[in-house]
Amino acid sequence: MRAVPLPVVAPVSGRAIALAEVPDAVFAQHMVGPGAAIDPVRGPGVVVSPVSGILVKLKPHAFVVTAEDGRGVLVHLGIDTVNLDGGGFVLLAEEGGVVPAGAPVIRWNPAAVEAAGLSPVCPVIALDADRAAAVSLAGSVALGSVRAGDRLFTWA
Amino acid sequence: MQRTVTVASRVGLHARPAAVFVKAASAATLPVTIAKEGKEPVSARSILAVLGLDVRGGEDVVLEAEGDGAEDVLSRLAELLTEDLEG
Repeated sequence: MRAVPLPVVAPVSGRAIALAEVPDAVFAQHMVGPGAAIDPVRGPGVVVSPVSGILVKLKPHAFVVTAEDGRGVLVHLGIDTVNLDGGGFVLLAEEGGVVPAGAPVIRWNPAAVEAAGLSPVCPVIALDADRAAAVSLAGSVALGSVRAGDRLFTWA
Repeated sequence: MQRTVTVASRVGLHARPAAVFVKAASAATLPVTIAKEGKEPVSARSILAVLGLDVRGGEDVVLEAEGDGAEDVLSRLAELLTEDLEG
């Protein structure tokens, strides 16, 4: 049992949706992990860290932050965006660095992703969450309009 | 017992291919580790650990398991990595 529930904030502004609505079966079926997704506001925007911790992996289109207790959260910017080879993404932080929740990590433009024929929907995933955590997490998702930095879900 | 395999997915073991691999490893009867050659092995059942390896397409990884059935388990997982899991 972990003592402290981990609040996870929205990395982008937009509309929070259930993972099941993500247009990618692997994310939609929770195979990467439980969480939520955000259909982002179209237009240039800054992606922020969902938790305070270490930016253990940073790609142009995705990153992982591990909280102090070791729990990792993945933010994936759009679907199949690895195929953009970083085009349109500007890194604002360094891999291995410490990032507070809400700190800028990447600058991007969801409208440009959409114009490239890809979905800009952003899954936010609790990595290696156990079944009990997944259930309570799913119940904690704040669906609907969110702004970057607002609480998205709580990882108990 | 070890098995070295070249990762076929062009993008490497990133979110989706990693998820498919970790799910298969979690379903295996034995614990399995995965490592880049010459690096520390990590649990193949942890998506966080596997993403952390940052395996690129075309890179070799070393799978390891011990015990009854290790050969079968490693063969299945190795086969999975030789498929393009992005499909």
